[in-house]
Amino acid sequence: MLLGIDVGGTFTDAVAIEEGRVTAQSKSPTTHEDLLIGILAALDKILPDIAASGISRVALSTTIVTNALVEDRTDRVGLCLIPGPGMDISKLVPSEPYLLSGYIDHRGREVKELQQAEIQAACRCFSGCDVYAVAGKFAVRNPKHELDAAELINKACKPKHISLGSAASGSLNFWRRANSAYYNAAVWRQFNDFAMAIERALAKRGIIAPVFVLKADGGTLPLKSAKDQPVEAIFTGPAASVLGIMAMSQTNQPAISLDIGGTTTDIALWQNGRPLFADRGAVVNGYPTAVRSFRLKSVGLGGDSFVRWEEGQLRVGPIRHGPSMANGGNYPTVSDALIVAGLMDFGDAERAYFAMEQLAANVGQSPNEMAAIVLSAAVVKLKEAIKEMLEEQAAEPVYRVEDIVHTEQFLPNLLLGVGGTAEGLAPLVAKEFNIPCRVPKGAMVANAIGAAVARPTIDITLRADTERRYYTVAELGIQQKLTDRSCSLNDCYEIAKRHLEDRAAQACIPVGDIEVIQQEEFNIVRGFNTTGKIITNRLQIKPGVLVDLTGIETEEGLV
Amino acid sequence: MSTKKPLGLVFFPAFDWAISATHPEREERLLYTRDQIVEEGLLDLPEIREYKPCLASYKDIERVHIGVPDIASLITNAHLVSAGGAITAAESVFKRETARAFALVRPPGHHAMRVVHGTRGFCTVNIEAVMIEYLRQHYGIKKVAIVDTDVHHGDGTQDIFYHDPDTLFISFHQDGRTLYPGTGFIEEMGSPNAFCSTINLPLPPGTTDDGLHYMLDNLIIPILDDFKPDIIINSAGQDNHYSDPLANMAITAQGYARLAEKLKADVAVLEGGYSIEDALPYVNVGIILAMANLNYSKVVEPDIEKCPRQSQRTTAYINNLVEKWRGVWSARNDMKRQAIVKAGDFWQNRRSIYYDDSGINELRTDTVRLCTHCSGYFTIATEAEGYGFKTKSAFAAVIPRDACQACRSGAREAVYREKRQGKYGNYFIQDKQQDVLEKL
Repeated sequence: MLLGIDVGGTFTDAVAIEEGRVTAQSKSPTTHEDLLIGILAALDKILPDIAASGISRVALSTTIVTNALVEDRTDRVGLCLIPGPGMDISKLVPSEPYLLSGYIDHRGREVKELQQAEIQAACRCFSGCDVYAVAGKFAVRNPKHELDAAELINKACKPKHISLGSAASGSLNFWRRANSAYYNAAVWRQFNDFAMAIERALAKRGIIAPVFVLKADGGTLPLKSAKDQPVEAIFTGPAASVLGIMAMSQTNQPAISLDIGGTTTDIALWQNGRPLFADRGAVVNGYPTAVRSFRLKSVGLGGDSFVRWEEGQLRVGPIRHGPSMANGGNYPTVSDALIVAGLMDFGDAERAYFAMEQLAANVGQSPNEMAAIVLSAAVVKLKEAIKEMLEEQAAEPVYRVEDIVHTEQFLPNLLLGVGGTAEGLAPLVAKEFNIPCRVPKGAMVANAIGAAVARPTIDITLRADTERRYYTVAELGIQQKLTDRSCSLNDCYEIAKRHLEDRAAQACIPVGDIEVIQQEEFNIVRGFNTTGKIITNRLQIKPGVLVDLTGIETEEGLV
Repeated sequence: MSTKKPLGLVFFPAFDWAISATHPEREERLLYTRDQIVEEGLLDLPEIREYKPCLASYKDIERVHIGVPDIASLITNAHLVSAGGAITAAESVFKRETARAFALVRPPGHHAMRVVHGTRGFCTVNIEAVMIEYLRQHYGIKKVAIVDTDVHHGDGTQDIFYHDPDTLFISFHQDGRTLYPGTGFIEEMGSPNAFCSTINLPLPPGTTDDGLHYMLDNLIIPILDDFKPDIIINSAGQDNHYSDPLANMAITAQGYARLAEKLKADVAVLEGGYSIEDALPYVNVGIILAMANLNYSKVVEPDIEKCPRQSQRTTAYINNLVEKWRGVWSARNDMKRQAIVKAGDFWQNRRSIYYDDSGINELRTDTVRLCTHCSGYFTIATEAEGYGFKTKSAFAAVIPRDACQACRSGAREAVYREKRQGKYGNYFIQDKQQDVLEKL
């Protein structure tokens, strides 16, 4: 049995899934001051219905990292950068860094050495810091400087934790890795306190199953590994919803998904049965990071969006003034319009009619006509956002002639909807694009389901330089000799695969399907001779869902 | 973040295109530059906006080039993308989405002349010229200044605009007596009606940032100020770098970045530069930061100590060159009148053109009508012989944008007359007013 818990903005949901069915589900208010209280409340509500010993895995989608950042409860970080020549990023990172000299160039060659004395000075400068972050330019090509600096910092002041940029990501982008390492260190203590509390609470309830944490890219990470990389656990809410959609509506068609919440709608684009990724990483607190995440667009429009006239113009959202009038609120909302239009059926319909009457008073229309106007305004807003997203997708730069000449246009032919008012609103949006719409059952607890069934994933980047006869795997902090100089792309794939399997084994993750995220091969030519190759293989354990829930039956009464 | 408009960047490294496997113009050329740009995080800055290049159309190419027998058979898709990249960059400026733009694209173009028989100096399509004529057609600009900062003389660009008084072409380069293509001497100043709209500044091998910036401050910038162009284009070759394997100059990444800062080009387009590991990553980061008005002071090559110093002789030569050109520039109007009077009704130029990549030798005769009402039509007679074919020949007339009625009919008559005699294999009329290349 898989247990999934999702901490949302308003509710904390828990579900149990067994044999492709949701066997128990619950909702409790999210307790922002201490998330654990709400989590345990949701958990305790379903425990009587299931056997704790039958739980094989617990997966958690939590806002602990996001909250720590939003509420500014992060720790002071001793941020050490090894920038070498290039753009000056010292004003572009979240806190003032200490700049260390030393340089690794684009081929991973040490051009200038690290200075031991500078690191001691940095530690004096950051005295009192419990956590450090170290990031060096081109450390993904050779992590030596980052590793050496970490060792020297450890010797000098024994901090509780040191985050490395190269451990955050094996991809190029020093600025993003620096920000990732910074935030990883900044939330490290908060996350670890939380992780320990969770482990204790579960043990007390007799749950001994391994615990996983959802990541922004929709994969799960064992709690043990997440303790080292807590920043990966940011923005898991949208990821959980996307995974939920994947579990409940497996489709290989190009599709658009809408997760329609109370305040916002998250839009994702789907290809080959999975959502598209954000190219370079997520933005955290306004800083670009290397945290892998889905490409999502958030629109300030949901079921509870406040509807009003402003200077003769009907405005829908992004403001929310509590629930819809049908649900006891005081202001007209999109949900009220859906009820009046006969597209949804919940709460007090009379109050919904009253809401539309209130709005219509200004222009002399019937509640039904008014509801239609409100909905068409809401649909236009979503349609515009989707169009924008499709345009951005088409404008994504590519670097090969072949990819320009033979661009495959992304043409969605299915719209998937989840969230409270998806049943009413999503079909209206689909109609605008002339495509069918699917709202899977169980859409109300999609996020918790998503967390429950998300597959564990990890990725690694292997870069080989056969001229210099070595390869690096940045995420593992290793640089090793290549025994064979005539090493091919395929040979490198095999080496990368072995490292990925080892890393998976260490984290107790089943390997499953391995897929290539990025592959490149270039000849190195000196004079007029080919002297070697530069080969990149970026692999991951394919993200996805553990269980197919397309035929899901939920017990609506429990919601 | 400032509310100022960003720099538009079209980055297109053409990772699947090469002239041949070990040719300097190969897949790997911008690999290390890509690595550096991405590693720095430049593409994440709000001050920089990346664009995907559009595909230029054959019509866009034929607004400039006359391919013999036709342009389509001489170029690849890569050329359409790189020309399209230049157009995309420029359009981002004209659509007011960006303050300036940089087309960091390949293959390059500044050795491609109006008539194309094959590839020379790694170039087949002159992407700056295609971009400029596209802008003239779609955005109605008139006066254009091109500053070619590649180490090789931009002979293709010079050729295309040699009779056009509205296009100022300034090229500094390593002296043609010491480097391909062996042209670009002071005496090449444009045909009489376009006199002094071509300015060549041959520099001695070993010229450093000092010499370059002396010339920039005391000659190039003042000339640009006088000319008052609607737009400034930089043919941003990077092979003046001290580490370039194909040339012998001594410019640094700082020197290039400072140049970009002073020039304030509206659009920069990459040309050559073959020190792909030691120069290009740093030079490009420097240029991008400078064009985006960001601090570039820390962009310094790790091996900067290898950069030689400028000799006193070189300094003296450059000072003298600047002095001489300042004199010519201030006397240009008188000199132009004299040149027109001396030439009479027609000005003619005969020369041979060498296509190193395609193994072709071309003999070309240009005849310009020195019209008093417009910039004058001109005809081109071309005969090429080379490997893979015996001979190819063509006779073409070009009707300029501002052509008067007499020049319009004169150009057509000239081509029909030649066609009746039947000496050439192909006949063309490139009509800039009608925006069409007619093959007869």
